[in-house]
Order: sequence, then C-alpha cells, then structure tokens
Amino acid sequence: MSVHSNPVVSVRGLSKSFVGKTVVSGVTFDLFAGEALALVGENGAGKSTTKNMLCGLLTPTTGTILVNGQTVPKVIGAEHGISAVHQELSLFGSLSVAENICISDLPGAKMRVDWAAAERIAQEQIAFLGIEIDARALVETLGAGKQQIVEIAKALLHASKVLILDEPTTSLTAVEREKLFVIIDKLKARGLAIVFISHFMEEIYRVCDSFVALRDGCQVGQGRLAEVSQRSLEEMMVGRTLEDARVNLAAPSQTPALEVRGLSSSDFKDINLTVHRGEILGIAGLMGAGRTEIAEAIFGLRAAVGEVRIDGKAVPRDVSAMMASGLCYVTEDRRKNGLFLNRPVRENLSAAHIAGFVQRKLRGFGFRGEKARAHDLVSDMNISVPHIENNVSDLSGGNQQKVMLGRWLATNPEILIFDEPTKGVDIGAKFDIHEKIAALAATGKAIIIVSSDLPELLHITHRMLVMRKGRIVGEFLRSDFDSVKIISLAASSNEGGQDAA
Amino acid sequence: MPRILTLLKTYPALVIVVALAIGFSVLSPHFASSGNIEAMLGANAVVMIAAVGMTVVFLAGGIDLSISTVISASAVISGLAMAATGSVALGAAVAVAVGLGFGALNGVLIGFFQLTPFITTMATQLIARGVAFVMSAGIAVKGTPFWMLDFGFVQWFGIPAVTVISLMIVGLAGVAMTQTTWGRQVMLVGSNVDAARFSGIHVPWVTFSVYLFSGALGGIAGFISIANLGNAIPGVGDTLLLIIIGAVVLGGTGMAGGEGSIGRTVLGVAILAILTNGLNLIGIPFYDQLIIQGVLIFIGTWMATRFGNRRDA
Ligand SMILES: Nc1ncnc2c1ncn2[C@@H]1O[C@H](COP(=O)(O)OP(=O)(O)OP(=O)(O)O)[C@@H](O)[C@H]1O
Ligand SMILES: [Mg+2]
Repeated sequence: MSVHSNPVVSVRGLSKSFVGKTVVSGVTFDLFAGEALALVGENGAGKSTTKNMLCGLLTPTTGTILVNGQTVPKVIGAEHGISAVHQELSLFGSLSVAENICISDLPGAKMRVDWAAAERIAQEQIAFLGIEIDARALVETLGAGKQQIVEIAKALLHASKVLILDEPTTSLTAVEREKLFVIIDKLKARGLAIVFISHFMEEIYRVCDSFVALRDGCQVGQGRLAEVSQRSLEEMMVGRTLEDARVNLAAPSQTPALEVRGLSSSDFKDINLTVHRGEILGIAGLMGAGRTEIAEAIFGLRAAVGEVRIDGKAVPRDVSAMMASGLCYVTEDRRKNGLFLNRPVRENLSAAHIAGFVQRKLRGFGFRGEKARAHDLVSDMNISVPHIENNVSDLSGGNQQKVMLGRWLATNPEILIFDEPTKGVDIGAKFDIHEKIAALAATGKAIIIVSSDLPELLHITHRMLVMRKGRIVGEFLRSDFDSVKIISLAASSNEGGQDAA
Repeated sequence: MPRILTLLKTYPALVIVVALAIGFSVLSPHFASSGNIEAMLGANAVVMIAAVGMTVVFLAGGIDLSISTVISASAVISGLAMAATGSVALGAAVAVAVGLGFGALNGVLIGFFQLTPFITTMATQLIARGVAFVMSAGIAVKGTPFWMLDFGFVQWFGIPAVTVISLMIVGLAGVAMTQTTWGRQVMLVGSNVDAARFSGIHVPWVTFSVYLFSGALGGIAGFISIANLGNAIPGVGDTLLLIIIGAVVLGGTGMAGGEGSIGRTVLGVAILAILTNGLNLIGIPFYDQLIIQGVLIFIGTWMATRFGNRRDA
C-alpha cells in the first residue's frame, strides 16, 4: 500500500475480554484519510466491540491505538477526533435537533448557553449533509431516516479524523440509503477516514475501499475490496463455502386467515387486506408510510377504527384477544418495545407466553423446564450468547434480534406479523430466518412481513402491498414483481395511486 | 466464575452486613448475644414487612410513598376495632382490609388512570396520615386486648412471633416473585413497560396488583406495630418511610425497576438494623450516630456499585 500517506489512526493487536471470555482478539489495521474501511463479520464477531474500543467507550484488554503515529493510553473521542454513530440510536426525542447535535459541547460563555449559536452550528452541519431538517424541530417528530442524519451530524461535530458508522442503514429505505452514501462520499472527499459496519455486501462495495473481516473475534482477513469478490469475502466471514440462497415457497391456500376491513386512524386510511393460510404477504413503502402503525393497530397496540377477522370471526383489537386467536407481532424497535434489557436472555425468550413455555402442575406457579426450553431455542435460532443467564443487553445487535424472533416463534402462532424481521442480522442468519419463514408458511401459517429491505421482500413473499402516506397504493403478485415499479409507486407524490396491479 | 463472586453479584450488600456484624461483635461483647439479636429482629419486623412491599413496587418500576402512613392508619383503625370488640382476629382482618383499601386506591389511580406513582402515593400518604390522626384524636388508642399485649413477647420456635411472621412474609414474597407468573410479570413490567405491553402482559392489572400487595403489607405491618408497642399509635409510620426506602435501595434493588430481589432487601434491612443497634450498644450519642450512619451508608452504596448490580453467570 505504498500509495498511501501515513495512517491517521492505527490499531495494533487490539483485544477485549468480558469476564474471562475473549470477544475480540488481535485486531490490527490502519485508517487513512479519505478512505473507508469496512468492518465485516457475522453477528457477534466483535465489530461493535472493536468500534467501542476505537472511540473510547471501552478500554481494550490488550493492544494499542495510535493516533497520528503516537500511542494514546486511552482514546478520548472529542480530543482525538474520533466519533461514532452507534448501532442503536442515542438521541433524546424530547429535545430539539440543535440540542441533540450540540449536546456534548454546548456553545456559550461560562454558565450561559448560546442557543442561537447552537442552532447555527446544527444547521450548518445539516446543511453540509445536504438534507433539509429544521434545527429547532423536536427529534421525536422526525422519521427514522432523518433521525439517522441527525445522529450523523452529531457525530460529525467531533469527527475531525475518523467517523465510525455501525449498521447505519438498518432502518433506512433504498432512497434514504443512497442519500447516506452520497454523504459518506462527501465526507471522504473532506479527508475523513470512515469505518463502515454493515451486513449488506452491496453497500460495502458501494462505500468502502478496504476491509477487515472478523470471525469469532479474530481477524481472518484484510485487504482492498477491489481485489476480493463478494463471494470470497462472505466465505471469509462465515468460514465455510456458501450455497446459493434460494428459498422454495410453497403455493398458498385460498383460505383467508387474517382479514382487515376498513381500518383507519390518524396515521392511515381505509386499510383493507387479506392474508391466506400458507401465504407470505409483504408490505413495502418508505419510512413513515404507516406500515408499523397498521401492524400495531391490528395487534391492538394502537387506537383505530375498523374490523379485524381471524378465520372468519371478528376479534376485538386487544393484545390478549389477538394472541389467544393465534396472532403475533414482532416489533421493529427491539430496544424500545421489544427487549427487557436488564433481564436474562432466558426471561426474554419466555416473556410472551410464560405458561406455555414451562411445565406446570399448578396454574401460574413454577418455572420447571424454562432453562431447557431456552437452551433449545438458543440453539434452534442459532443465537450466540455468553450464557442464557446473561442480560440480553450483553448480546450483539443481531443476536438480540434473534431473541425477539425466538420469543414469538415459541408461542406457536398461526398468524405472524414481522416488522423488519432481519434488522441487523448477518447474511447467514438472514438466510436461516427466511428459510424458517418459508417453512412456517408451508405448514399453513399466514405471514405478513413489513420490511424496508426490498430485495428481502422480493425474495421471500408471495404477494406485496405498496403503501404511501397511510394508504395502500398498489398490489403485486410474485409473478409481476418489479422493483423499479414498486419503488416509484412508494415514492411518487401524485395522490390517488393505482389500483391493484 | 467462582461461587463467591456470583454470590456477591446477587447480594452486593452481603459484604457490608458481614463487616458490620464482625465489627460490632468485636467492639461490644453484647452484640452477638441471643438476647440482643432477638431484640433487633423484633424491633425491625415492621420495617421488614413494609420493605418487602416497597421492594415489589420498586421492582415494577413504581414507588409507594404511602406505605408508612398506611401502617399508621391500619394500626389505628385496627386498634379501635379491637378496643370495641376485644377480638384480635377482627383487628387483624381490619388492619389488612384498611391496607388493601389504600393499596387499591393507589392501584386504580396508577394502574388504570395512569397517574404518576410519586404524586399519587404522596397524596395517599397525606390522606392515610389524616385518617390515622382524626380517628385516634391524635393519641394512642387505648384498650388493646391483653392477648395482643402479650403477643409482642410470645416466642415461636425460640424466636419472637412477630419475627416469625415477618420472615414468613419474606419467604412467601420471595417465592411469589421468583416462582410465579405474577412475579415474573412484575419484573418484566419494571424492566420495560412498553416491551411488556407488546408481549401481551396486561400492564394495568400488574401495576394495580403491586400497589394492592404493598397496601396489604402496610396493613399487616400496622397490626404488628400494635403488638410491638402495646398500643396503636397514630404517628407510628411517620418516621419510617425513609428507613424503608433506604433499606430497599441499600440492599441493591434499583428504583428504575426490573433489578433487585426480596433477598437483597432482607440484607438492606439488616444493615440499618445492625447499624442502629450496634452504635447504641457501644454508647455513641444519638446525633453522632446519625453522622456515622450517613458515612457508612456512603461506603455501603459505593461497595454495592463496585460489585455491580448485575447478575452475570
Ligand atoms: N458485557 C458483555 N459481557 C459478555 N459478553 C459480551 C458483552 N458485550 C458483548 N459481549 C459479547 O461480545 C461478542 C461480540 O459482540 P459485538 O457486539 O461486538 O458483535 P457484532 O460483531 O457487533 O455483532 P452484530 O452484527 O450482531 O452487531 C458477542 O458474542 C457478545 O455476546
Ligand atoms: Mg454490532
């Protein structure tokens, strides 16, 4: 790599252990100004842990980090110009965009904050990113895409040398992703070194110049992306040869399992949809199109008017009634309303149906068999966990997602609504999850998948609905799937839309 | 991980209890005598019972500021009932019923009307205190049945009966929290109320039940206070609130919910009990005691944080 000048940051033999378990060991790489490095690996490989050491959130057990060729005893993000956008967003919803961006270093003299200056700084950062957001808006009023931009603007304020992005695209749709990539190109041109973590190979090739591959915490490869094929990179990560990812979808039946009639609320209007036994129905749309809101309303988590019928019978929209009728809903926001972060993995797995999870002689009493069942689920879902008694917050992002899926699959539901089911999971696990979903459909379960990942929907669904601004604006059968049409339908601004294709 | 470390992570307050017990045994020959231990256990039965109720509320992510004066109100009303009828059984039933009543009030307002626990139970605290003083005209209720006066000195299996009762409550609550669906749901609601709702747990009912539970324990504690003091005193709970909350937090149950256990609270109560008793025994004047207690509590919480509140395997 003689073309390079000196690295801005170098990492030598970085290792980290938690209570005796080594999760990262001997990671070594260099970061150069104007270049993007991809950190790739399966769920739990140690990518986020490496990121946390690089930006000073975790102290390495052994190894050194050099900034401009100088060994630093401990990285201080703000001082060394290294900053990160974390896998899980860390914004304050009830504060303004400006407050969030400037939070760690509010401008002003002594005790007085200069709010005008804060707004100016924030607006400059956002303007540089080329997105329109009002610095005075409250963060909770923004969609996930814009929140992600705010998060980046906040990190940029201190990233004079290195910006680390940990799975920044998991909640973005294709259009929003492309916008983000243009921003990253700009940052590279500005002379920043980028570290990019993602499970999407296309993104890695789009954004990055070089890569470091981790497997079980060890560095198993590194080099220039131009010199390695996607296939061999993937095989490096998983440590075996991969078969082609093809799922076989069985033909669905004609028996309706779930029927939604005239469902309306302030977020969506007049929703009518039907899923049949054995069918996988996809719902596509941009962020904020109202897809999650519909799913939550069907499950009884949100106020709405309209009727929901299961197996032809009207069911009151109430979570317990829906669950009793065999419906389940897997949330997209696992940290906010999915996981019990300070409780063990075991309790997180059994939470949705405790009585069915354990063996009991007395109603409501005893947890016999809970551990064994949790162990079964962990191996069945291939969850990488230090121990089932560890808090679920100790798991890597992708493994937390698998815990969510495992919890609901354990309830033996008849109808499953998945909201972003593969958010943050690696390619191998995604393949496994898709196979599981296809297998569930083959046994006659009805399935709805809401996803921002269009290739996923194209791959795994029989039929797709497209939503825009709270309305269903199109329907496609698998035989007529056309990603260009679907994207333009979801994004187009003319009201009214087309009828079923 | 070594056994002892696991034990310390589960019960971070254990070190302090052991250190204090050893320290005072060395400083005072009377500390470890059976008479002194009995006195300590008996004197803290009321706090122990109430702290169990508070723990469950904390675990669910709430707080019950009314438990202290619910103790007073149920003591007074129970005392009046016993004075009027002479029936101890009726007195016990009345005490529990009064506790349940206040608990239900809190539970309905917080669980179903979604009022803030802090303000709601603060208001209930005022009401219960008012009730206790109005009904007793501000003085100790006279006419406690003799059986009840004796009961404070009765021993079962060689330990004071009131202690046996408080330990039974500790045991039952421990089993309820660790072995029943209800206990698990309380923990999950405390850990993440949104996730609990999304998992199909009926959060309003769980919340209601938790305040009902602490109300009932407040009632029982009030009844026990009559046995301990010989009379139903309208101000009996007034100074207890901070001791109860302090014991729970010192034991290592967090106020944020989903983190802690009944067992930890037993240790928290033990810390405060040993401190007061030990400092008295070695003849430290009352106000000096306060300073020493404060400093020791600093050290205690620091150690508890050091050993971590996390239950790693
Ligand atoms: N506090 C902790 N205690 C024990 N183990 C931990 C702790 N934190 C992380 N780990 C373990 O470290 C490993 C690496 O986690 P990390 O979050 O770095 O993975 P990752 O590569 O970012 O995965 P993902 O793609 O799923 O986000 C995981 O197996 C995780 O369980
Ligand atoms: Mg990660």
